[in-house]
Amino acid sequence: MVITTRFAEEADQKYLVEWLLQPGVLEGFPLSDLREIEDAARIWISYYKQNGVLTALCDGVPCGIANLYLQPYKKLAHQCLLAIIVDEKFRGKGIGTRLINELMALGKERFHLELIHLEVYEGNPAIRLYERLGFARYGMQRHFVKDQGRYIGKILMQKKL
Amino acid sequence: MIPPSPDFDIRYSELTDLDAMQRWLSEPSDCNGFPFGFEEKDDALKNWIGFSKFKASLTAIIHDAPCAVGTLFLMPYRKVAHHCSFYLLVDPAHRKKGIGTSMVRNLLHLAHTRFRLESVHAEVFLPNPISSILQKLRFEEFARQENFVKIDGRPHARLLVEHFF
Repeated sequence: MVITTRFAEEADQKYLVEWLLQPGVLEGFPLSDLREIEDAARIWISYYKQNGVLTALCDGVPCGIANLYLQPYKKLAHQCLLAIIVDEKFRGKGIGTRLINELMALGKERFHLELIHLEVYEGNPAIRLYERLGFARYGMQRHFVKDQGRYIGKILMQKKL
Repeated sequence: MIPPSPDFDIRYSELTDLDAMQRWLSEPSDCNGFPFGFEEKDDALKNWIGFSKFKASLTAIIHDAPCAVGTLFLMPYRKVAHHCSFYLLVDPAHRKKGIGTSMVRNLLHLAHTRFRLESVHAEVFLPNPISSILQKLRFEEFARQENFVKIDGRPHARLLVEHFF
């Protein structure tokens, strides 16, 4: 199995939609239906124009996407929020680690980022991956998600680059 | 709620309030409390006042002239539609008269009664005089992020605070 990465293209939006629709995935995102998923995927992939999105490929097949939500304002441009999703069929193979490491390098070298941060919901197993990669928690917004009457907190994590 | 003066009133914002907002941000330092800079304010303020079409924005007036605009930034997705953030801008000529406190109180009331929200949160770039108003109105800190914003090249922290109804 050969893993490679490339800058994302607009056409990769369809993979985001496909992976967000996989069973259980929406428990980790604040989205509920296809309309919301398509809206979020459109915003997510739009950063491809600035080369702020990376697509991982497994033997040439897209298997994960990670992006930098590059800040539109100058006074915030030294830091950035990131987001990542890996196709469920390819989890546990180091693709998330590779995408985040490459995204951090991209952020530091190309966009001169000094700080990178992310949002993850309570109970998400990806928290362990983020901790291993050096992200530290700096806050939590309890009750951020309300899903079928159940509240889920949003954990805020960051790492200096 | 006690209004700051007998001529003080609050109404829903209108798109035409944009002109006053632009006047209140006439100096680069006026933008220090906001994520946008002086050169970026035009697009940011247009987007901001756009929320007036949802009746999610309030304008304070004195003698019918706008003196503050506060807006609830309603969330676009259902799972997070039970809360929102807000921004507030007060005319520099009318600060320290209780207008900010009155506006935040009215925004909380709007959020709770019209939109049935369960909480309202805010992002504050430190130092910022709104911190004491938010503390007084029972906003609780849930995150503090150092070096989040750079003003004139100097790093400042942002505070994230939330008020639960």
